[in-house]
Amino acid sequence: MTEATLASVEKDEIIGRGELLARDAVPASLISMRDIWKTYVMGTEEVHALHGVSFDVQKGEYVAIIGPSGSGKSTLMNLIGCLDTPSKGQYWINGKQVAEMDDDELARIRNQEVGFVFQTFNLLARATSLHNVELPLIYAGVSATERHEKAKQSLTAVDLADRMMHKPNELSGGQRQRVAIARALVNNPSILLADEPTGALDTHTSYEIMNLFEKLHAEGNTIIVVTHEQDIAARAHRVISIRDGQIEKDERIR
Amino acid sequence: MKESDDETRQDRDAATRGQKLTSQRPAPSSRRVFASSRLRVSALWESFRVAFASLRANKMRTALTLIGIVVGVAAVIAVVTIIKGLDQTVASTFSSQGSTVFTVTKRPLVITSREQFIQTNKRKDVTNEDADAIKRLCTSCWRIGTAVGRRETIKHGDQKSEDVSTRGMSLIMFDIEALNIDAGRLWTESEAAAGRDVCVIGVDVLENVFGGASPERVVGQELRVGGRSFEIVGVVQKQGKIFGFSRDNFVFVPFETFQKIYGTRDSIAVYVQVPAAENLEEAEDQVRAVMRNRRGKTFNEEDDGFALETQDVFLNIYGSATSNIYLVTIGVAAISLVVGGIVVMNIMLVSVTERTKEIGIRKAIGARQADILQQFLIEAVTVAAIGGAIGVLTGFALAYLLSMLMGFPLLISITSAVLGVGVSSFVGIISGIWPAWRAARLDPIEALRAE
Repeated sequence: MTEATLASVEKDEIIGRGELLARDAVPASLISMRDIWKTYVMGTEEVHALHGVSFDVQKGEYVAIIGPSGSGKSTLMNLIGCLDTPSKGQYWINGKQVAEMDDDELARIRNQEVGFVFQTFNLLARATSLHNVELPLIYAGVSATERHEKAKQSLTAVDLADRMMHKPNELSGGQRQRVAIARALVNNPSILLADEPTGALDTHTSYEIMNLFEKLHAEGNTIIVVTHEQDIAARAHRVISIRDGQIEKDERIR
Repeated sequence: MKESDDETRQDRDAATRGQKLTSQRPAPSSRRVFASSRLRVSALWESFRVAFASLRANKMRTALTLIGIVVGVAAVIAVVTIIKGLDQTVASTFSSQGSTVFTVTKRPLVITSREQFIQTNKRKDVTNEDADAIKRLCTSCWRIGTAVGRRETIKHGDQKSEDVSTRGMSLIMFDIEALNIDAGRLWTESEAAAGRDVCVIGVDVLENVFGGASPERVVGQELRVGGRSFEIVGVVQKQGKIFGFSRDNFVFVPFETFQKIYGTRDSIAVYVQVPAAENLEEAEDQVRAVMRNRRGKTFNEEDDGFALETQDVFLNIYGSATSNIYLVTIGVAAISLVVGGIVVMNIMLVSVTERTKEIGIRKAIGARQADILQQFLIEAVTVAAIGGAIGVLTGFALAYLLSMLMGFPLLISITSAVLGVGVSSFVGIISGIWPAWRAARLDPIEALRAE
């Protein structure tokens, strides 16, 4: 059912012409990575952080990407989140070829297709929860009233309706992470991309956040969690293990 | 149950995907333009909000930055306002006489060199006979008055005032100089002809030797001028100050009385008034001819042997003095604005470094380079414009204090206020570009890693 199929036929029908190059073929998957390489030049030496990574994520999946530090999982996360572009290979997100986009186009994709959740929350310290959640909408050009409405809904969805006017330093770690999740979801992204989302939280709060992820998944969100913790990865439905810049294992566990 | 759930989800997916693809492909450019123009408005407001929040969060730093701008703008505004006030005073003072009056004196009003002083000192005095000749021969002249002055100590009872302008004046001088009597009367022609010891005084004299008595009270009282007793017959209406100097500290006595006391050895001034400005040149020519003739000057001798001047001489000197002040002020302003700009740039660079993480967060959630650039540029412009506005207000306050002290009207110019804020905002843009550009170019991954 989750087989990665290239939907070039479908696209041809839409565009209405048949002479498309193979690289323009749009996969049906929400995320599709094809032979992704990321190479850093350090002095005279070339370091391959990723070599030849390929995988697909379908809409509605809950995927964990796991690997030890230095495995290339952070690099992979930056690529998935469109913070960076691959040295080689092709990457489609929601039907858009990202690999060769410029900075501004990437910013647009980050704004509309990706919702980030970070280990250290990365909220603006001086802004209220509400304003933090509104931020992606500001850069999306949403009008003030609509922005307020959406941000409130998003905060209510993570049970923080009563903390809208609080600043991050007035919130607990778990609450801060929930604000970050509300911010990630507010623009209806294609994927929720979480980087060690419980890394800075205690066990109990971690458990709460993971429950929230499960709830969001059940509501139809696509979630990718990058972690090095087995028990966090175990909550996902599919685990992709990275080692030495390559996919070691890609297994469905649920 | 699960089957149907999956199916509906897939249906919905297909629907949204199809929708996204079809709605996006036909006209991507128009959609982008629309989105980005909307984006600018909301991001612009966000930029202002962030700018104010950041300026408020770093009060000390903001204050220091502001000072850099305020000083320059305030200095310019103060000087410009003061000069405009002086211009107004000068214009109104001299237009009461208009350019229909010129004077004939031994020396010019302003002597610019030692050589000129020595040369003009050798000239013959201007005498009563010269005045009579002008009266007799100048057909274009309308009013011809004579005046001669020195400085004297005046006394009343035990009160005294030193260095008071004491002028002997012919009666017609009151018409030429448009002086009005506030209380009492002017001396009569017969009093003048007889050389009587009568005088009219300026209102400062009331203050200085009559303990602030009203003009009416002093009429008929005695005033000792240079040890000689005079009867006050009138008080001249208040004339106010010019350049901080009062024009009301004087004693006027009849010309004949003055010469009776001090003799006729002092060079006098002849004041000539013509009916209208267009008669001025003709009258000047006639007077020059009469005077040169009396001094035996041939046509090829360059020096007249006397000075023939209108107020234009004074206005020219005033004009060149103030234009120099303007130039110096512009120089000072330029330097201080450059310094202010460097301060703003420095502070903005610190601000960018300090907020690297924030920039990373904003970029991660979709801020484009242009958004970040705009944010920091607006912050720089905001601080510079606020500095400019405070500078304008400070400048006006300074000018106000000086105008109170020196007694000239305060002319608040909207143009200079707008210019002050405008120029400092421009400085803000110029000095904000480089820091803002650096912020915009930050790599989001690197920036997110910053502490």
